[in-house]
Amino acid sequence: MTGFDLVKLVVSDALWSGVAALGFAVLFNVPKRLLLGCFLSGAVGHTLRTLCVNSGASVEVGTLIGAGGVGFFGVYLSNRFDVPAFIFTVTGAIPMVPGVFAYQTVIGLLQATSATGSQTVDFLSTAGLNGVRTALILCSLAFGIAAPTLLLRRSNPVA
Amino acid sequence: MRRPLIEATPSPDKQPLDYETLRDVIDLSLWAGQLLLHSGAESQQVEETVHRLGTGLGCNWLDILVSPNALVITAISDGEFRTKVRRVVNMGVNLQVIVEVNALVQRVLVGELDRHELRIELVRISHFQSGYSRWTVALMVGAACAAFSSLFGGDAIIWGITFLAATGAMLVRQELQKHYFNPFIIVVVTAFAASLLAGIAPLFHLGNQPQLTLTSAVLLLVPGVPLINSVQDLMKGYPMTGIARGVTGAVIAACIALGLLLAMSLLRMNGL
Repeated sequence: MTGFDLVKLVVSDALWSGVAALGFAVLFNVPKRLLLGCFLSGAVGHTLRTLCVNSGASVEVGTLIGAGGVGFFGVYLSNRFDVPAFIFTVTGAIPMVPGVFAYQTVIGLLQATSATGSQTVDFLSTAGLNGVRTALILCSLAFGIAAPTLLLRRSNPVA
Repeated sequence: MRRPLIEATPSPDKQPLDYETLRDVIDLSLWAGQLLLHSGAESQQVEETVHRLGTGLGCNWLDILVSPNALVITAISDGEFRTKVRRVVNMGVNLQVIVEVNALVQRVLVGELDRHELRIELVRISHFQSGYSRWTVALMVGAACAAFSSLFGGDAIIWGITFLAATGAMLVRQELQKHYFNPFIIVVVTAFAASLLAGIAPLFHLGNQPQLTLTSAVLLLVPGVPLINSVQDLMKGYPMTGIARGVTGAVIAACIALGLLLAMSLLRMNGL
């Protein structure tokens, strides 16, 4: 891949993932003054993931790195705008949520019921794989955006 | 949050609260917690915010149980205690409420608000309308779904059809929400509407990957916040809310699949 292709990929990826985060931020009723932060947070996370996947990492590992970026960037934005980091981490994570994997799992299961012969097994195994991938991507996503809290704010759990 | 080893050690700088005040403090803390849970906050955030609010209003300690559909708080002041339950009905997402409740707690902690002013502010937040008009939300959500189609590799035609389908579906969803339909029925019907509208592309073979319109247009329904909160709650030691949110998310995903499959069988498509 040439340098020009890489720049083109990063720019379009950042733009579209930012728009995706922005749209959901409006759906979640984020105040107007914070919308730019949500756009940037979405763009940072997904672009990091795309770069990781492009250099050969799996989507799961890429999500972990991208979500970690969203988590730490969220802490920065939270200090800057004086609102909880949750606002930016949740909207920033939205472009990386494995939505397609999630509903394709169910579609596979439903299609297996009406399939015949060896097709049933195909549908079931694809559905199982999609389910596992949904769970793995979700776990890396949640761990990544929680990383600053989990790593930097520890306390002794006295009962 | 660190807990004291001995229950309710009275701190020397705090006056014991009288009967009236303690009742008010626990009521206001529960109200703030309920607002947070209704707006999609994660359990740890709810527990910490409510704790800060209660101690800021003069209690020595608060014990908070966050469960999927109720909030239980015991407020302690100088050996006197009171417990109250408040029902939590829906788990929507409204991040402006989270921002506002957090700002209120900060103002209470610096002593800018007393409990009477806090009550007025909480009434204001409870009656808040969305900051965006219906059409703004629909168009922005349409653009978000169309952006997903571009991320998956769709061209401009795919973008346009996804945008129209998702915007139309969002309008359908808002209309159904206005009439208080069951949330899962809303998801099935909206997914069906989105995929039927998006079906124009595969029906007339438009764009570079016609199927992408269906894949992307239903993404407006994906339960991102419940699913992320589910894993966060499980990791941070709130298994009950974690499991409940995860199951809710899975059921919503199943409802999306159901609506999508219904539309696909109408359009005589098999597989995405």
